[in-house]
Amino acid sequence: MMRKHALLATLWAIGLIGVCQLAAALDLGTSAPAFTLPGLRPQDGAAKLNLADFRGKVVYVDFWASWCGPCVVSTPLLNELRNRLVKQGKAFEIVAINVDKKPADGIDFLSDQPVQYVALSDPAGTTPASYQVKSMPTGFLVDASGKIRLIHQGFKTSDIKLIEAEVEKLLAEKP
Amino acid sequence: MPLARKLLLLLIAIGTCAALLSACTPVAAWERGTLAKPEMALEPDPLAATLHDHVYFSKEASSGGNSASGGGCGCN
Repeated sequence: MMRKHALLATLWAIGLIGVCQLAAALDLGTSAPAFTLPGLRPQDGAAKLNLADFRGKVVYVDFWASWCGPCVVSTPLLNELRNRLVKQGKAFEIVAINVDKKPADGIDFLSDQPVQYVALSDPAGTTPASYQVKSMPTGFLVDASGKIRLIHQGFKTSDIKLIEAEVEKLLAEKP
Repeated sequence: MPLARKLLLLLIAIGTCAALLSACTPVAAWERGTLAKPEMALEPDPLAATLHDHVYFSKEASSGGNSASGGGCGCN
């Protein structure tokens, strides 16, 4: 009787710990999960892009949608940052993954707020699931070797300074 | 089978059915597009909601217990 109870208690404890593992978020310093996604707009190209295509650059992977309020604030700020750094010749890119069920909504959003960085489309939502996105928008700053160095949830106007500081720090790192 | 045992099994069966028939489903952050539409918000107009809250606070001498000021963007 006691042995049976001990066994059940052990199984329950293992189960509890197992569930806790499921709830754990993506850790900093781990490799950014790979993805292969098609472009959102015609200018993003018909060919699918991988995260690996950007290896060697500091990449800000931004999960956004047309229905996400803070994205209205983040989009022009991120675009300005990206353009300024690229003009300076820095190895930085923003890969914005749109999670709208209807990609046309994402295209409409970007026709009001044009951006020069890469916009990809993931209506199925497999990429945000692999990145364990907890809120919208969420940005993942990935260094040149493909490791996640910053997870930024939500967006307010002052956040762009924080992101810029992190990007500059990563750009200054020796490969 | 004794009656008590039968009732217990019936209770477990009803409980399991009720749990399985639940309409609650977890919605991931990136799936909130439909929920973010204005018609899905409890209080779509933040200004009207604030006005109602002020009138309520004044008349009832109490506040709270209502939804946050509208504009459900589904951001978190």
